[in-house]
Amino acid sequence: MRNESEVIELIKNKLNPLDVKKLRTQNLAVTLKKDELISGLNYLKAHSYIHLATISCVDWIDDNEFELVYHLFSYEDKINISVKTRIDRKESKFVTIKNIWAVAQYYERDIHDFFGVEFEGNDDMDELILENWNDIPPMRKDFNTREYVDEKYEWREYHG
Amino acid sequence: MKDKFKSSKWQEVINWAQKRSLFMLHYCTGCGAIELPPTMTSRYDMSRFGIGPAATPRQADILLITGYLSTKTLRRVIYTYEQMQDPKFVMGFGSCTINGGMYWDSYNTIKQLDKYIPVDLYIAGCMPRPEAILEGFMELKNKIETGNADGYLRYKEDYDFYKENQEKVLGEVKRRQ
Repeated sequence: MRNESEVIELIKNKLNPLDVKKLRTQNLAVTLKKDELISGLNYLKAHSYIHLATISCVDWIDDNEFELVYHLFSYEDKINISVKTRIDRKESKFVTIKNIWAVAQYYERDIHDFFGVEFEGNDDMDELILENWNDIPPMRKDFNTREYVDEKYEWREYHG
Repeated sequence: MKDKFKSSKWQEVINWAQKRSLFMLHYCTGCGAIELPPTMTSRYDMSRFGIGPAATPRQADILLITGYLSTKTLRRVIYTYEQMQDPKFVMGFGSCTINGGMYWDSYNTIKQLDKYIPVDLYIAGCMPRPEAILEGFMELKNKIETGNADGYLRYKEDYDFYKENQEKVLGEVKRRQ
């Protein structure tokens, strides 16, 4: 069992991260280059971070980038690590990690639904949550919810 | 012909019997689901009014929509509603079914349930308490007795209206004969 500072040392020495910080007790955030992400995840999985809790995505529209966040947990260290990487927003493509964690296939489908990120190697990219969606993906920052609602639904009229 | 039949003595007998045995399918889409266990069980005990929960759409008289409907859920609600036998009644439950409620600006929830399936009665509130649900059931029973709960007839008459609205938000709605 390692504590947070030991894990930070390990990551700094082995993974060549852009940034590592301790957010609070049992919570670390690591930023990796996008080419080194897969090897980084493999390394962490081999070092007891076997649980992929979820993958999330952040739309940094001003930087013109998407940030993918892989949330890992170790049952031995009892530490959460958020492994982050940034990809281009225009050409929003990344590689699948379904070979490392099979469950990632569904998380990637979910992100494809809501942000429109393509994952190369993951061939099952049908809609998971949405149905017959025909606009830009709804969780992107440039999607105007109010405008969409005004167009698609009607407001109830009140009298009196 | 239909109006004549509706107002006949025989229809009055049917209505009288109908309102005393109502089986409810609660389609628990939102937080309203939590108000139903106390309504069904001993504290408020809706079976003393002749209303009980039903297991499947084909056995149910009332379709109770308890909360917001995303477009994906709406498709399932339409399938459920069309499986039910006549006469059938729809109750919209909570402000989400009336005007969207707290999901009024959500891209994925419908705002007015009565555009897609015919609603006989709304229970307002966020959430309505079990007393309000029972009050709604009493009102529905009055409407059945006076022959005003005619949502299933309106669905047949204005089918094009409903179908158009459904297809506007859902795309194609598949139906099998």
